[in-house]
Amino acid sequence: MVEGWTGDWTMKSKLVSVSEAASLVPPSSTLVVGGALLRRQPIALVRELVRREVRDLDLVTWASSLATDLLVGAGCARSWEGIYVGLWWYGLAPSFRRAVESGALRVTDHSESYMTARFRAAAMGLPFLPVQPIPGTRMTARDDVRRVICPYTGTELHTVAAVEADCTILHGYVGDEFGNVAWPAHRDSDDVDLIMAAGARTLVVSVERIVPHDTITQHPNLTYIPHVKVDAICEAPFGAWPGSCDTEYDEDGEELERWAAAGRDPDAFHRYVEEAVLAAPDHDAFLERLGAARTKALEVAR
Amino acid sequence: MSAASEVAERDDVTTNELMAVTVSRLLSDDDLVFVGVGTAGRAFSLAVGIPLVACRLAQLRQAPGLDVYWGNLLNPDLSSVPETLTQGAITRWRGAYAPADIGNKVDMLVRGEFDVSFESAAQIDRYGNLNITRIGRGDVPDVRLVGCLAQPEHLAFVKRPVVVMDLSRRAFVEQVDHVTSRGHGVGPGSRAALGYRTAGPSAVVTDRCVFDFAEDGRLRLRSLHAGQSLEDVLARMSFEPVVDGAVAQTPAPDDSELHDVRRLIDPRRTLLRA
Repeated sequence: MVEGWTGDWTMKSKLVSVSEAASLVPPSSTLVVGGALLRRQPIALVRELVRREVRDLDLVTWASSLATDLLVGAGCARSWEGIYVGLWWYGLAPSFRRAVESGALRVTDHSESYMTARFRAAAMGLPFLPVQPIPGTRMTARDDVRRVICPYTGTELHTVAAVEADCTILHGYVGDEFGNVAWPAHRDSDDVDLIMAAGARTLVVSVERIVPHDTITQHPNLTYIPHVKVDAICEAPFGAWPGSCDTEYDEDGEELERWAAAGRDPDAFHRYVEEAVLAAPDHDAFLERLGAARTKALEVAR
Repeated sequence: MSAASEVAERDDVTTNELMAVTVSRLLSDDDLVFVGVGTAGRAFSLAVGIPLVACRLAQLRQAPGLDVYWGNLLNPDLSSVPETLTQGAITRWRGAYAPADIGNKVDMLVRGEFDVSFESAAQIDRYGNLNITRIGRGDVPDVRLVGCLAQPEHLAFVKRPVVVMDLSRRAFVEQVDHVTSRGHGVGPGSRAALGYRTAGPSAVVTDRCVFDFAEDGRLRLRSLHAGQSLEDVLARMSFEPVVDGAVAQTPAPDDSELHDVRRLIDPRRTLLRA
């Protein structure tokens, strides 16, 4: 790297506001939502979808928590597919749970190898992938899991369809204005954001910080989402709050307890959404209401 | 430490210590063991605390080559477990390997590379089938739980899955409401008939007793923990397990095992607290 070299970039800026980024998610569409457990759920983008009243979403996730619970609790989702929805240390996801138990939300449960194959098929441009069968379970008794005979060995395999989503939303660590998104050298990697990004049709990413392109070019191997895949990138500090962003900040336990308590009653959760989401018109106003003292206390040593 | 105080220690063995030591004796050298990330309170002790203590104890004894895959981290430094597993502490926990995405770990699982996994569930039945997805058999569930995670893969592809659960009528049921993960199915030969190449769940370690599985796939009572009677145990189950004659007592931890658990492995009671 030559000191002071700024290069001559021909890439186009894809940097927009959180609100503009979220406007790329149409109603009645299939939406992949990234993150794992309480980590890097794209909550700033999700809050914006709630503000915009984007309805009838079909959600597809890995291990989801706050994003799914909020979209379901705010009436934005009609179905969910994935491996897990819960609030991890903070119990079951209350609004998600109520919607499933009332029959309002359609759910399709997948195990990790079947779900990984669905995301990988999309990333590989294939309509389906075979998987090693796990017969005799409720999951594999469904008709979306099909059987195929391996043409080489003659053994029976199961197949699962590619995740054909209209849009994918992810929350990342840092990125540049062109949409190159980088992870730190060491992180908590218990997610499939990389595969989700590779198989995305329309990809919207929020990041903790927009950094100069020069910062990205120093370690291109840390870029896990290249700009060519990205349709919009936006800066959303604390964009996973009240969940965590590993290497940046911990989850906000106090707020998660508040969330879990409010979620037990639909009216209480409605009031929580009014106060915690709708009262601020956008992410900047939201951060201001939250206050720097509160977010600062959650930051972890880098 | 004097011999007298070691004996005193042994007299107040906690249930969690007994469970951890019992599990550790099921582990062998060079085992590759999967431990989940768990949740809070009692569920954390069952899914994470007891398994991690058991793995470390086995490493210090019969299994120096045992490898632990915790979440997406292979061989986290078990000599230095973070006091609280906040996100920052988890991220900074040192280990040998963490792949770029968790799909790599799922691949290892499906390839049959894991020897042991630890399971807990809302329901387990007579044949060791597990349910972590939903309670109730109607079109909509009475209680929606979390989903599937990789538990179906564990019972399908891991050589010796070990279930760690508290004994209760609500959890030990005649037939699970929803087969998230296939154990011994509906009895003799049902795994093989479906094409499973692994033997299925190998043991169930509870707070009151230990089970294994009989030839026909039914849950079989192996031993009662000290102070537990057969009647107490049966009263806490919704079905009757196989009982072959007089049931043994679960072997107590020896002094050196207790010493290691209390002094070396979990001195701050981070893992066996709840």
